[in-house]
Amino acid sequence: MKKTAMLIGVFAASAVTAHATGLATCDSGPTEGWQPQAALEKKLTEQQWKIRRIKVDGGCYEVYAMNEKGERVEAYFHPVTLAPVPTKPR
Amino acid sequence: MAAAGPRPPVKVWDPLVRAGHWALVASIAAAWLTRKGWGAVHEWIGYAALALVALRLVWGFIGPRYARFSQFIHGPAHTLRYGGSVLKGNEPRHVGHNPLGAWMIVALLTVVAAAGLSGWLFTTDRYWGDERVEDLHEALAIALLVLVTLHVAGVVAASLRHRENLVGAMFHGRKRPPAGDDVA
Repeated sequence: MKKTAMLIGVFAASAVTAHATGLATCDSGPTEGWQPQAALEKKLTEQQWKIRRIKVDGGCYEVYAMNEKGERVEAYFHPVTLAPVPTKPR
Repeated sequence: MAAAGPRPPVKVWDPLVRAGHWALVASIAAAWLTRKGWGAVHEWIGYAALALVALRLVWGFIGPRYARFSQFIHGPAHTLRYGGSVLKGNEPRHVGHNPLGAWMIVALLTVVAAAGLSGWLFTTDRYWGDERVEDLHEALAIALLVLVTLHVAGVVAASLRHRENLVGAMFHGRKRPPAGDDVA
């Protein structure tokens, strides 16, 4: 029983981190303290970005967008401050 | 009188089939390992896989005998009959691909191509960030893993059944010469 519970725990943990790419991580605390995705979308739209999608990756907001020059960008932002987060070069 | 020694093995898989096979194996493994956060590398692996599939398609029409689709792809009736004989445990040994293996090749090449194309689609302006394309790409990758598992299981089963090392044959290209009811 203990083993089963442990296995379930491991699987649950891997499911939560399943989409973490490791490109960036944000020390962003509980989601209650986060700004809504809509706030980030508004901020970026004001910079002439066209937002395609926002999701959470590594505790950051991960944004797929076309930037002000019409280029494809995948960028990370801190969900509390909405400041850009540099990604690991690969 | 010359002694009737064992007949020498026959050359079945040409160098391009063998190199192409293992390059595709490597690219599928590399694509899987770079699936998270290795965008540019992952994309180039995908294009390499697409190129390998395209090369194999061309080779299937102009390559040597055992590389040609016309040598190993059969219609549903023939394939089902072969499948039935596998279940009964009396299927003939094929020097080239057997009919079930042949359709596995078709399935693998199709899914690799679809996975590669859906991955490319995600990088186009039109579908950048598109969740449906991402989901499709991931589903195709999972389907590919399932097919690879079945492919390896089929190779192991056929190797045991006919007492030959099919994995080794895909390295050196040689197989035991046809005998008895073997299909050459």
